[in-house]
Amino acid sequence: MGKIETNVKDALDHIRAATQELHGAISDAAAKRGGATKADLEALAQKAKAVTESAKGSISTQRDAAKKHLADGVTHLEATQKHVAESLKSSGQSFQTSVQKALADARASAQKISEAVAAKRSAASK
Amino acid sequence: MRNYVAVVFDDTGKAYEGLHALWQLDDAAEVTVHGTAVVHRDALGNFQVDTKETHPALATAVGVGVGALLGLLAGPAGAAAGAAGGAAIGAATGGVVGATADLVRADNRDQAATETRFVLGAGQSAVIADVSEDWTSPIDTRMRTLGGTVYRRAKDDVADDVWFDDDDFYPSYLYPYEYIPSSYSL
Repeated sequence: MGKIETNVKDALDHIRAATQELHGAISDAAAKRGGATKADLEALAQKAKAVTESAKGSISTQRDAAKKHLADGVTHLEATQKHVAESLKSSGQSFQTSVQKALADARASAQKISEAVAAKRSAASK
Repeated sequence: MRNYVAVVFDDTGKAYEGLHALWQLDDAAEVTVHGTAVVHRDALGNFQVDTKETHPALATAVGVGVGALLGLLAGPAGAAAGAAGGAAIGAATGGVVGATADLVRADNRDQAATETRFVLGAGQSAVIADVSEDWTSPIDTRMRTLGGTVYRRAKDDVADDVWFDDDDFYPSYLYPYEYIPSSYSL
């Protein structure tokens, strides 16, 4: 489905989109019949690392509430990375637990970065 | 302002058009959407949440979370009913929730004049969303053109009625991106 591009996206919008994608990818991996493969998890680990680095690099360019929300988002992204790494080294129930923790932290990071976007948009409209 | 919004449509296809329109408004920076879900009510009165194919435990969690949120959107007295219904039915069947928002409403007619009530009739569908909006007209206008009826409660008001002692409980069970099942692709 094609989305209509109606505005110029800034870095924060792109970070948000990447975080949403990461959540979707972890969710899809968690749902795979027979479980996620090592290749799936390695790809997730790389994706999580790239998004985290990108978000970290943007903190200093944000202001006030957006900065705080983005920093909170980075904290959750780092936790996501940690849980994905743990899932690569585990199996059985501990694997499931790591994937579910990764999903929860990816969701929380998407939430915080979405709040950063809202704060930035609200400040820009005043 | 941070609000929970429920937009009621007469059929599921329209609900997905509404969902798409909501994310388009986000794309245009008119509002910021933090999470969404689409719920249906069948002819027997059961509620169902559209979820991705996922781990059964996650589907159950979505059922419980959205069930509780439906109850909260029905007003203060709906919180307990929604949470209990979502937990009981959601745990058994995954994405199905048992909030009976309209019954809750019927039992609390005295409050109806002052509360924004969410009512989903048999056969209807609704988009539930967690949004930040500086003004309400973008969503109201867009949804009206699609035939949707918008119900809205401030997140702060919901927090006052909160059933689970965690501000992030409800948004955690809404999709943080536009998720439309392939059967409803636009």
